[in-house]
Amino acid sequence: MTSAEIQLNPFLEAAGVRTYETDLAEIILQLGQDEPSHIVVPALHVNRSQVREIFARTMGLKDLSDDPHALTAAARTYLRQKFLSIPTAISGANFLVAETGSVVVVESEGNGRMCLTLPRTMITIAGIEKVLPSFQDLEVMLQVLARSATGERMNPYTSVWTGVTPGDGPQRFHIVLLDNGRSRMLAKETERQTLRCIRCAACMNACPVYRQTGGHAYGSVYPGPIGAILTPQLMQMHHAQTLPYASSLCGACYEVCPVKINIPEVLLELRSQVVNQERHTAGRFFDPMYLGLRVANLLFSRAWLFHAAQYFGRIGIRFFTRKDGWIHSLPSIGGKWTQTRDLRGFPRQTFHEWWAERDLKPTGEAK
Amino acid sequence: MNAPTQSRQQILDRIRANTRSVAAEHLESAYATLPRTYVRTGSLSAEARLALMIERLREYDAEVVECAPQDLPSTIAAQLQSSGKRIFIAPAGLPASWLALGFDWRIDRDLSSAEIELAEGVVTAAFCAVADSGTIVLHHSATEGRRVVTLLPDWHLCILYASQVVETLPEYFSRCQNPPMLATYISGPSATADIEMTRIKGVHGPRFLHVIVVHDHADQPKNQ
Repeated sequence: MTSAEIQLNPFLEAAGVRTYETDLAEIILQLGQDEPSHIVVPALHVNRSQVREIFARTMGLKDLSDDPHALTAAARTYLRQKFLSIPTAISGANFLVAETGSVVVVESEGNGRMCLTLPRTMITIAGIEKVLPSFQDLEVMLQVLARSATGERMNPYTSVWTGVTPGDGPQRFHIVLLDNGRSRMLAKETERQTLRCIRCAACMNACPVYRQTGGHAYGSVYPGPIGAILTPQLMQMHHAQTLPYASSLCGACYEVCPVKINIPEVLLELRSQVVNQERHTAGRFFDPMYLGLRVANLLFSRAWLFHAAQYFGRIGIRFFTRKDGWIHSLPSIGGKWTQTRDLRGFPRQTFHEWWAERDLKPTGEAK
Repeated sequence: MNAPTQSRQQILDRIRANTRSVAAEHLESAYATLPRTYVRTGSLSAEARLALMIERLREYDAEVVECAPQDLPSTIAAQLQSSGKRIFIAPAGLPASWLALGFDWRIDRDLSSAEIELAEGVVTAAFCAVADSGTIVLHHSATEGRRVVTLLPDWHLCILYASQVVETLPEYFSRCQNPPMLATYISGPSATADIEMTRIKGVHGPRFLHVIVVHDHADQPKNQ
């Protein structure tokens, strides 16, 4: 995910470096020139016959069946030679341990273990939010991650390594600590919680919007509810302004989040940032919506102006109110409403006026 | 200043500026007093704990046999025999009595990846095991082998002593007085669900895991 975030593969390809994805889903996407649609199962949108077609074409396997076992075995054979011969591997990391300087990779397939064991040189790219204070903190995070991501008690393989171990694994190790907007996200408390994310994807599995649209609709490396708050912040709100709206605010994501990121709260905060940015954009000043909202703001914040507006509004509306007490048609913008439905005429008094008069009348008449 | 140093300084400066509201000493005490009310210590008896470990391993399709300490060499030999394989890797520190006669042993003294790839199986010890999740923990000592030897061969026989089995993951962490430089936690065989969410075993790591559980003395894990 991290390498996709910084568009590493296209950059390396342009520099003449051939890269091979090693995760089964990622090979499917790479060979099929496709994009991920889920954090944990990135090729969720590709079915077995499509995978068969991609593998048969790119690996030269004419007689490949579309049985997932056969497809997985094909990928195993295809990659084993690559693992044994390619001198450099690039990995991400799930956690970094400050106390020991260790890197932790959590996985199921074993491609991670291959990458961090066989090549001569290892390069790890990790976001700075992955740092845990102590080794012991893994006792919490490892249990939480596996259970929220795949529902397993523990994922099949977890690897911990600390720099270079003579005689075991890569003898050159580089780690790139990636900021890319993360330190900026620390500034405000609401947005800061985004950095707690451990990429388990529980939020997208629970999200009614994600389940309808799939991951591609988000148009961002990180899809789903977490992507809707993470991507706009990483991109400094410049692109991806519609993402904070890709939610019904039902809160299902917050409910399942193991690290308790209040995603709806962050979504609302980002929406307000989008609006603030937008209404200060030239050309938006006379936009009917913003004009209307400015007028409403003026009226609602001054009681005398509000009462005056009510008074004149009531007089004005009388011209449109029929004898039956209903408004059947309004001019201009209001006509859009009355085209399809009637509107009840305004009452003779406001509630406040009625309340003030109430005690002055004999009981029984105050209706 | 070169570019990496400069970036590092910029990042650190930004982090400091953006977390100024939280005093460093306050953070430290907040971390020290974090509520850790999750299950840390198990509640099972030694036998129940071991039974849970074996149940979990079998759920993962591992083949589990149990034996007494004195029967270990013969049990290893029987397992190797029934595997139908001949070429096995042994980590350099594996006890000589575990190297059953009649097999082609390749002692790992800096074997190349290509040589390890040619082997059919590997026999190792373990550091610890966690019953709750059926996890085998390797710290890659001389008896547990380098990381590569438990990765390339398709068949892995792991010798686990009953006294090495703890119930919960936090109990493993409290057994690590010194955090390991290298560690691998294995919970079942390599697996994927990347194609149509169908779970398939054996993408890259060993497809066959065999475990011999040795009932050593009291069957009691050493309490830290």
